[in-house]
Amino acid sequence: MAERSRMRETGLRRASPTANLVLLAGLIGVVLASPSLAVRLGTLGLVIGLAAWSGVPVRSFFRSLRFVLVFAGLLFVAQALSIREGIAWIESFVRITDLGILAGAGMALRFLVILSSSFLFVQAVDPDRLAAALIRWGIPYRYGYLLILSLRFVPFFQRELRIVREAQAVRGLRVSVRSLKGIRRAIRYTFVPVLVSGLMRVDSIALSMKGRCFGLYRRRTAPRPERFRGADGIAIGCAVLLAGLAFVARRGGWT
Amino acid sequence: MSSSREGEVALRGLRIHYPDRDRPAIDGLTESIDDGETVVLTGPSGCGKSTLCRTIAGFIPELIPARVGGAATVEGTSVWDADSAHIAQRVGYIQQDPDAQICTLRVEREVAFGPENLDLSLEEVQARVDTSLEAVGIGHLRGRETTDLSGGEKQRLAIASILAMRPRILLLDEPTANLDPDGAKALFDLLGRLRDAGEMTLIVAEHRIRPLLGMNPRVLVLDRGRLVRRHPRERIDPRDMGPRTDGGSARAAAPMAERSLSVARLTFGYAEPLFRDLTFDLRRGEILGVIGPNGSGKTTLLRLIAGLGMPDEGRIDRPDGVGFVFQHPHHQIFERTVMRELAVDGDPVEAGEFERWLDEGRLAGLGDVPPLSLSLGEQRRLTLLTALRRGPQLLLLDEPFIGQDRRNVEWIVGRMRAHCASGGSILLVSHDVPLIGALADRILYLGEVPRFGPPGEVFSELRAAGRSPFLPEFWEGPDG
Repeated sequence: MAERSRMRETGLRRASPTANLVLLAGLIGVVLASPSLAVRLGTLGLVIGLAAWSGVPVRSFFRSLRFVLVFAGLLFVAQALSIREGIAWIESFVRITDLGILAGAGMALRFLVILSSSFLFVQAVDPDRLAAALIRWGIPYRYGYLLILSLRFVPFFQRELRIVREAQAVRGLRVSVRSLKGIRRAIRYTFVPVLVSGLMRVDSIALSMKGRCFGLYRRRTAPRPERFRGADGIAIGCAVLLAGLAFVARRGGWT
Repeated sequence: MSSSREGEVALRGLRIHYPDRDRPAIDGLTESIDDGETVVLTGPSGCGKSTLCRTIAGFIPELIPARVGGAATVEGTSVWDADSAHIAQRVGYIQQDPDAQICTLRVEREVAFGPENLDLSLEEVQARVDTSLEAVGIGHLRGRETTDLSGGEKQRLAIASILAMRPRILLLDEPTANLDPDGAKALFDLLGRLRDAGEMTLIVAEHRIRPLLGMNPRVLVLDRGRLVRRHPRERIDPRDMGPRTDGGSARAAAPMAERSLSVARLTFGYAEPLFRDLTFDLRRGEILGVIGPNGSGKTTLLRLIAGLGMPDEGRIDRPDGVGFVFQHPHHQIFERTVMRELAVDGDPVEAGEFERWLDEGRLAGLGDVPPLSLSLGEQRRLTLLTALRRGPQLLLLDEPFIGQDRRNVEWIVGRMRAHCASGGSILLVSHDVPLIGALADRILYLGEVPRFGPPGEVFSELRAAGRSPFLPEFWEGPDG
């Protein structure tokens, strides 16, 4: 457990939520602002490097994003097939051109950077610290705690879903979503039991929060501001660098 | 014991009636609890213990709708008039399921949650967090994620997070319901220390009160919403010690020689092995009780036997028909009506047979009712009937007695005996050690060293190993 805790305190996990948010804005901003494939590819490389630095193994990073990778592949193929202008690389029953390949790669890379950097943000930022940051920024604490509570429910729903699926298996219930009838059955057999569990849990948590004076006063103790660390400097430095790169790439007409 | 002067908690002619219920949950209760007292509320499930706790905590009718009558005051303030968050400054309420009351993701943040709501200084919040974590003995867990904690650790965290509010009154609603015997003993020890510190009034709702008697409590016995007996600290009526089961009459007919289940050299684990080389068997007509600490793999063992997971090593020979009744009935209720729920493979039950099954489950007249609208006891009976209707040879029961009143426990035990008498066999997981001791033909203890054998033999080994919370006498006393 101690080893796990140390892993959590590396790289961007040490940086404040504010610095992580600035970095996320930089990463997304550069792929939106710059049409350059090289810049987008470099940004994706940077995200992977930052993930590794933050203690997220590259393999598990990509495993977690496998659906995103599949979707990025589909975007690439769809784009490559739909653009007919440019020099043809393949000219048979389909026409694939250099422009189509470039456009597909550009779109897939943009999609990958946006999703992977968002995933990295979620991995790196402790929700409690993020809620504290939101409260420091002046957002009412009731809304800040909504974030924590919704994250608190993620493992709960995962566990409930597993139990309900096992209950279906024990009863020999087969749930398929290949037809309208199947979808209706899936809703009844899966969604309803999980929803019931969720509603019961919401009631308990509401009592627990109210029973600890949540909402009694307009203000609650403001969390201590986080001190500036080296990781904050690196995160903000990367963001500034990315903003500069986007500016130069746009001005220089890089493609 | 009711006195003319107002206590710290004063109830006069208290009446609570939930919507859509035939009778009031609390019916004309008058009582007074003094500053620094330790009071145990006991009685069968549904007797009104939880309702009384929630009333004193100020949740009724503000958060839990009900018609209320009479008066309920805490330190002179009417709970009907005050916001429950105001009452919470004086009353700390700990629910049955500790997991269901954790709001944040880290131990330290969870304890700080309450004091921060009071807008205290950061230094004061930190001081309260440190003191509360140390008071319940989990200071070493402060950096842990709340989802990583065991059931017992979660219960201690729930108490620490309430202690950090510095309440004058601490209410605990069946705090051992979800704890293993070890966790329950640790909790009783902690309550004893809090009582000795003498800084707060303790009100504990519990079924099994013998382990609490060391705290010298006053015992209030409720039944159907009424206060039926009060016991002074010195003299407790043995009838109110908790549910007892007559071992001789509860045990099923003599098991047959034919094996129903055979488990050989079973090894399974996640990061760490849960059990290694586990070997046992179950004969037809037999009940095998499985006990052990939280996290020892009891439910996992049932899942493996049901075929819901693959063992790492070893062999399980199971019969063709296996029924599995989960801990929480709502996980296994899928259909729109009780009748459809009882149907096997989607085929409606024939009318005569259907009526017989409904009668059997004391569910007569409820065939067209949505199952999720049934009470917890009715849902439990329905899920057990649904499993039995499929004619399983082996029945797996995971904590079937939690939250069940005496009548339901007797009904479940009756069905178990009938199943065994007809040649079926049962694997029963439960934290209720006395009931397991009374029901099971053999016991499997999953713990640091697994043990398997007749109850007398296993209990004797556990006694020698100093595992007193896993012995029936810890809960019911040596006088049986």
